[in-house]
Amino acid sequence: MSFEKKILKLEEIVSQMEKGDLPLEKALKSFEEGVTLSRECSKELEEAEQKVKLLIGMDANGEAKTENFEVKE
Amino acid sequence: MDNSGQFQQTTASEPDVISVSQLNRAIKQTLESEYPMVWVKGEVSNFTAHRSGHWYFSLKDDSSQVMAVMFKGHNARLKFKPDTGTEVLVRARLAVYEPRGNYQIVCELMEPVGAGALQKQFEQLKAKLAAEGLFAANRKQSLPAFPKKVAVVTSPTGAAIRDILNVLKRRNNGIEVHVFPCRVQGDSAAKEITKQVRLACEIGDYDVMIVGRGGGSMEDLWCFNDEALARVISESAIPVVSAVGHEIDFTICDFVSDVRAPTPSAAAEIITGDTGDLGLKLNELKKRMWRAWNLGINNQKQKLSQLRRLLGDPSKGLERYAQKLDDLSWRLESLMRAGLELRSRNLKEARLRLVSPEVNIRRQKDKLENTKQLLDKSMNQYLKNKEKDLISVLDIYQPVNKIVEAKRTELEKKMLQLHGLSPLNILERGYSITKKEGSPLVSTDGLKSGDSLEIKLHTGEIQARVEELR
Repeated sequence: MSFEKKILKLEEIVSQMEKGDLPLEKALKSFEEGVTLSRECSKELEEAEQKVKLLIGMDANGEAKTENFEVKE
Repeated sequence: MDNSGQFQQTTASEPDVISVSQLNRAIKQTLESEYPMVWVKGEVSNFTAHRSGHWYFSLKDDSSQVMAVMFKGHNARLKFKPDTGTEVLVRARLAVYEPRGNYQIVCELMEPVGAGALQKQFEQLKAKLAAEGLFAANRKQSLPAFPKKVAVVTSPTGAAIRDILNVLKRRNNGIEVHVFPCRVQGDSAAKEITKQVRLACEIGDYDVMIVGRGGGSMEDLWCFNDEALARVISESAIPVVSAVGHEIDFTICDFVSDVRAPTPSAAAEIITGDTGDLGLKLNELKKRMWRAWNLGINNQKQKLSQLRRLLGDPSKGLERYAQKLDDLSWRLESLMRAGLELRSRNLKEARLRLVSPEVNIRRQKDKLENTKQLLDKSMNQYLKNKEKDLISVLDIYQPVNKIVEAKRTELEKKMLQLHGLSPLNILERGYSITKKEGSPLVSTDGLKSGDSLEIKLHTGEIQARVEELR
């Protein structure tokens, strides 16, 4: 599942929990799922590294030819 | 007055020699008094709005230019803001700066003189493309909610790319960025930008494209008012966000793109708009989740305590049950004890009844005896009565009785004779009968010393033992 889908899923779970009409057992399940998702998302956020490439052209297959790019301050 | 006096004194004899300061001062006085107010028409160039609020620029025409300044106190009253290329009419006074010997015009009023040439060109292109429907709302593509890969067509060394990357880093670090380098001002800029936008479209592997640059003069931004660029953008299959200059700057690129961002930073915010700052969003969701969880738990706790109240204090209930249990066990015990007592009483009674047959027998015996006595008594009575009856009958048959009497007397005589023949009668005369075990002995055969014998006499019996046999 992509990060954004996880966030959407988490939002869905939280909204459902906020309605407050879940039976305890289901609420517990949702909560557990939510905690797992938020942990995974936090981890992904921490690990994500900005990927920036400088485009130098297009190869024969129509793919981008790139090199690493760093902003000069 | 002193200065002018000195000047006049030296003219008579020697060539006029004055200091630089004197010259500048003289020019200043002459110019400033000769041109206290002028109206000048020209095109604004090198326009700079300084942080202080003062404007610095040049006014030029085809062959000349003059430095100009418009101070904050004056430009604040204007209803328009000129820019490089704007043709204006100014009312100004001349001012000489003595230390440098240069002069400028200090503008007090400014009016635009028609639209500048560039502006005209811009309006014409805009009108043409609008007529073709390139800006139509139904051509606008919507932006993806979660772009993963973004093409940025801009200068790799400009402020724009720096701003965009900073915002993306903060809001969603997972996005991959490809920078399509190009010049963003100057003669070849429009062609380069167009070429890179086209290249991005050909590669096609992007969720969204940002085209833009940071702020600058209208001339600087002019490359984004290019017709070829506008057409490439309008045909792009990739949604395009235009991010040219500042909020106040509008270019053809802005109109033809799917979304116009006021600045490059804003463009980065817009493309991550649906998710916003994912880190913040995640934190907010976490908070909401914990709140909802705690709330849910508290609700359940409340429900539980309500139910508890309805049930009453369970410990009291237990106490009650414990009491009841004790009660019941006491009752059970006492019942059992009572039962046992009853049984044992019954047992005792039964035992008593078991002993009683002797008594019963005695009682029955007594009863029988009584009955027997009663029976005897009544029998005797009956017999007596019968006897009486018989006697009376006999009395009736007296004569017969006499005969019977006679016969009886006779019978008695005969019986006495018979009596003399009886063994008992013999005993009367001193004989005795010896018996062993009830049988009369006629010899000593079978007897041995020590045997018990009974000897019957006429009256009484003797228990004897054999002493000796002869």
